[in-house]
Amino acid sequence: MRLPKFEYFEPETLEEALRLLAEWRERVCVLAGGTDVLVKMRNGRLKPGAVIALERISSLNGIGFDLRKGLTIGAGAKLSDVTSHPDILRYYPAIARAARVMANVQVRNMGTIGGNLCNAAPSAENAPPLMALGAVVTAASLEEERRITLDDFFRGPGLTAMKPEEIMTSIFVPTPPANSGASYQRISARCGVDIAAVSVGAMIMIEDTVCREVRIALGAVAPVPMRALSAEAFLKEKVWSEEFLREAARISADESRPISDVRASLEFRKQMVAVMTQRALEEAYGRAIKR
Amino acid sequence: MKHHINFKVNGDDYSLAVDPWRTLNEVIREDLNLTGTKLGCGTGDCGACTVLLDGRSVSSCLTLAVSVNGKSVMTVEGLAPSGEELHPIQEALIQTGGIQCGFCTAGMEMSALNLLNQTLSPSETEIKSALSGNLCRCTGYNQIVEAISMAADKMRDNAAEKEEQ
Amino acid sequence: MESRFKIVGQDVPRTDAEVKARGKALYTDDMKLPGMLHGQILRSPLAHARIKHIDTRRALGLPGVKAVITGQDTPKIKYGNWRLFPDTQDEYPLAVDKVRFIGDEVAAVAAIDRDTAEEAMELIEVEYEELPAVFDVDLSIKPGAPVIHDYCPTNISVNRKIKYGDVEKGFAESDYVREDIFNTHSVSHAYLEPCSALAQVDLDGRITLWTSTQVPYIVQCLLASTLNMRENDIRVIKPFVGGGFGGKMELRAWEFCAAFLARQTGCPVKFTLTREEEFITGRRRHPMKIYSKVGFRKDGTLVAKDLKIQLDGGAYNAMGPTATFLCGNFGAMLYRYPNYRFHGEHIYTNKPPASAMRGFGAPQSLYATEIQMNMAAEELGIDPIDLRLKNAQVSGDEIPDVATISSSGFIDCIKAVAEMSDWKEKRKSLPAGRGIGIGCYSFISGGVFNWFNTQYPFSAAEVRVFSDGTAHLLTMASDIGQGSDTVLKQILAEELGLKMGDIRMTSADTSMTPQADLGSWGSRVTLMAGNAVIDAAKKIKEPLFGAVSARFNLNVIHDIECVNGRVQSKSRPDYGLTFGEAVAMVQKANRGEPLVARGSYTPRGKGLVTPAFGFGAQVAEVDVDKETGLVEVKHMWTAHDCGTVINPRSVEGQLAGSIQMGLGYALSEQFVMDGGKTLNTNFVDYKMPTASDMPPSELFHVETYEPEGPMGAKEAGEGLASPTAPAISDAVYHATGYRCMDLPITPEKILRNLKKNK
Ligand SMILES: Cc1cc2nc3c(=O)[nH]c(=O)nc-3n(C[C@H](O)[C@H](O)[C@H](O)COP(=O)(O)OP(=O)(O)OC[C@H]3O[C@@H](n4cnc5c(N)ncnc54)[C@H](O)[C@@H]3O)c2cc1C
Ligand code: FES
Ligand code: FES
Repeated sequence: MRLPKFEYFEPETLEEALRLLAEWRERVCVLAGGTDVLVKMRNGRLKPGAVIALERISSLNGIGFDLRKGLTIGAGAKLSDVTSHPDILRYYPAIARAARVMANVQVRNMGTIGGNLCNAAPSAENAPPLMALGAVVTAASLEEERRITLDDFFRGPGLTAMKPEEIMTSIFVPTPPANSGASYQRISARCGVDIAAVSVGAMIMIEDTVCREVRIALGAVAPVPMRALSAEAFLKEKVWSEEFLREAARISADESRPISDVRASLEFRKQMVAVMTQRALEEAYGRAIKR
Repeated sequence: MKHHINFKVNGDDYSLAVDPWRTLNEVIREDLNLTGTKLGCGTGDCGACTVLLDGRSVSSCLTLAVSVNGKSVMTVEGLAPSGEELHPIQEALIQTGGIQCGFCTAGMEMSALNLLNQTLSPSETEIKSALSGNLCRCTGYNQIVEAISMAADKMRDNAAEKEEQ
Repeated sequence: MESRFKIVGQDVPRTDAEVKARGKALYTDDMKLPGMLHGQILRSPLAHARIKHIDTRRALGLPGVKAVITGQDTPKIKYGNWRLFPDTQDEYPLAVDKVRFIGDEVAAVAAIDRDTAEEAMELIEVEYEELPAVFDVDLSIKPGAPVIHDYCPTNISVNRKIKYGDVEKGFAESDYVREDIFNTHSVSHAYLEPCSALAQVDLDGRITLWTSTQVPYIVQCLLASTLNMRENDIRVIKPFVGGGFGGKMELRAWEFCAAFLARQTGCPVKFTLTREEEFITGRRRHPMKIYSKVGFRKDGTLVAKDLKIQLDGGAYNAMGPTATFLCGNFGAMLYRYPNYRFHGEHIYTNKPPASAMRGFGAPQSLYATEIQMNMAAEELGIDPIDLRLKNAQVSGDEIPDVATISSSGFIDCIKAVAEMSDWKEKRKSLPAGRGIGIGCYSFISGGVFNWFNTQYPFSAAEVRVFSDGTAHLLTMASDIGQGSDTVLKQILAEELGLKMGDIRMTSADTSMTPQADLGSWGSRVTLMAGNAVIDAAKKIKEPLFGAVSARFNLNVIHDIECVNGRVQSKSRPDYGLTFGEAVAMVQKANRGEPLVARGSYTPRGKGLVTPAFGFGAQVAEVDVDKETGLVEVKHMWTAHDCGTVINPRSVEGQLAGSIQMGLGYALSEQFVMDGGKTLNTNFVDYKMPTASDMPPSELFHVETYEPEGPMGAKEAGEGLASPTAPAISDAVYHATGYRCMDLPITPEKILRNLKKNK
């Protein structure tokens, strides 16, 4: 199908964009890389009166890292820039991996990390590792700028905590604590162009073989990317062992709430949550004790 | 309301009035008559529509034509302008048999170029992942992968030769 | 081995590769004519319903809309490829009374651009009376099931039986009998080029149709009959085609609508399908339910086979009747079954019609054969390779009333693949989670049964030669990407001793190229069109040889040859002329008449199936992740017998392409259906393997010479679609103990089974 008809704006500053947004409200759609928006418009699921393209607002596109504070990724940063950024590769390999295994080269050259989060698909690839690492996003409106933790960000498939008049400007990820490691694991049936059937992001901090901090985030197994809080609670303050690891994986499978769909059945997804959680924790552990 | 855009395609300047809902794929195929770029799905999955936008490969079916104002597009027709010698990627594809029905070919070539712009010594695994967004139903990819590796060798040799001169 | 051929057997680059590489090859949707309108088809949202009323007024009122048609506006003539049996012709170009599947074509619009055409779709109002629908073959044949076509109250549209020997007696004499049920699933051709058709009407009312098809001649004839026009008033041209694999071998609604609307509006009209339309409504491979019973002696000798197959045909026959015939023929292939019985039923359901797809009944039927062979091997305590060697068909074997195998390199294929893969060792020593397995195939080189009821030869060629030393080859054969134009040129170049560059080719234009050619399917082109080309070349050579022998006083005509651009004596090459000089001589002696010859091929006395069979064997090695159930194919080894290899690169390309399809068929591709609704309608969810999914692979050609084939060649393109799934499946069994009886092999099924076995 052809795209529906709409008006098009290409503001060069955030303020201009926010003003347009305030003016058009619900009838407008913000466009970053367009890899979700154009597909939805083509399928007839989205018919906006106007489109505001963010690409020319250069303040949204940067990536910056400060060892003492952390990483700031502009909401408009392209996924391919995220995967190749030296600091991300070095300090946040789980984030780089999620951006690298998703979609395909062309889509990564167009799509943005902000678009992936704002689109709020249950399977949003970048959500689990960012959640596991305690990311916080910044949303701006004409009135204010506010910070929302990623844990509170997703509200349902396609729904977020942002207001219609807000634009996401950046994503902040604190510097990972010493002795910590993170990992991202996903399963899908094919190497190229595929959307995860189950994905897991995990971060742990180990002190003398004791698991001091742990965060596990699951993708594609609930209406929104979710934390596996029971599994986390179980592992916390435990001495690292194979057995506990398996148990934590089982618990996280239990607390996941997947559905059956075109991509996988409920039972399979639950099983895979366990496998992916275990693999993510193992890799995170390996990284933690190396650092 | 139509928007006025100026952009380059294969080095030529174009100045056009376009409706904002038209994709780059539609404009290059229908308005510029550059039909070498194909439309296989329209949803970013197959890669037949791949072009380079400011040097990076993108799906022209998911790119709004208005958004390329001031930018530079390269399509398959720009690889070896009419009458000129074939690009090493094209030559290698012909030689290895990596072209059957040819519908995926333009996209494959653009993805290959995107890769070879970054490295001239890609591994087989790298070549295969560089083609993650390009489907082919005829060739099973093997001869295409072989061709890209051949083209890389040739381009490396050419580059070395130039350096010597 | 020193080849007898100069061009045949060489790595000749495809002659169309350069235009394609440059992006200059024109496919149907690339074409644009002045004043061209854009068409769009309205499709049924219901699986089974009576059309009560269609109101097109609002759509017609939309500015830019030039015409809207429904079934009522058309001549209401049914069509179908099986013209020999008019009963089987069950499809209207646009639905007249009922819709029978989701996607059935209901109305069509022509408008000044695509946007307008799409907008008009939403303004057509259709009132349906929904009818009960049926989606499953077992339910469809139950008494009282909804009747899908009035002419066919049982919903079984085709019955096919084959029988020879005495099956019951055979089983009684067997030491070991087993009976299994297999289910195979539906997959998409997934050619990269969505279907497209462009029609134009001349001032005198004749129609030219450019269309993305494998069968220009069939489209010409059926378009003529559905439009109530004369065949010769329709010209069908096949431009470059982006793949077909069986999915483009019938007249289709948009071809009819383009022509009909062009006639009605006086403007050229183009229809191009979206990928979503292709997936929702596109033809697909038949799901089959296969009941197979086989009997062996203790030593592994096959005694009898009883095969029953139910094909889920979807809402229309399409190429289903052929698939019903062929799956039964393939059931009797590969091994010697002294007693054999087959019963095939083609059953209607309210799903998108299944049709021909690469392998045409073989991938399903041979999946059952091959898996059952392995199951039997295990129980008999015989290595699967040895069991195959014991029963393999050889040259000269006969399948009573059906076919004679004029050449078979099957045994050599099995041996070669066992050696290449280090079978015996790996079968014993691979670690847990790793496995290897085998699958074999046989395939036809074109069909001999004249279901299209044509009065013309099955393939024809015209060769014109010129005094400048060039030739012009005209054939209706359709290159849809497989490279047949190159192969036919190679054959002609070889015959006439010319270079590839000396040959101009016109193909697949029904008004210019000789009648007829049944199209590209069933791996028929190389053999049939190839033989037609040779026939024409022979007729060209006759007068050339005559002229040269007269000039040099050579009295033995068969001592002359065409070679290196010359027509000369074999023993005294200096006695001869250049090709062009010889042509000029013949022309001068003949009042300047051009030197032209027609050749043709129609198989005669070749049984019911095909003139020649290809054979092959394939071994796959896999690695199965026991936690996730994901299968990684590590390596494929293939040995095949396609007779003389005319173009090795092309054959390798066919192999790799087949592995990609076979891999998808075995592991990742499937239509996910909710009743009659196809749920996965894009390439993200229809999972076709990508470059990274492809295993390394090795190929060995077993050299045979097929007496019926051109220069000894036979099929090479489709047979290979069959062995990959059983080979992978068997390897998965070897690795995990999971025996897949219901394709595809998914991680979920593997895991479920692993759990069960624990
Ligand atoms: C072939 C293909 C494969 C894909 N594979 C994957 C995959 O494997 N995993 C995966 O997770 N996704 C996948 N996607 C989906 C998509 O590519 C990603 O979600 C991508 O990151 C979206 O980014 P974008 O910039 O293109 O977003 P857009 O399409 O531009 O926007 C997406 C949504 O976010 C909103 N939005 C964007 N930016 C902002 C902002 N700054 N502030 C407020 N709202 C904003 C838009 O209004 C829209 O609702 C795939 C898509 C395609 C076409
Ligand atoms: S047409 Fe753009 S990716 Fe398929
Ligand atoms: S050559 Fe046909 S799709 Fe690639």
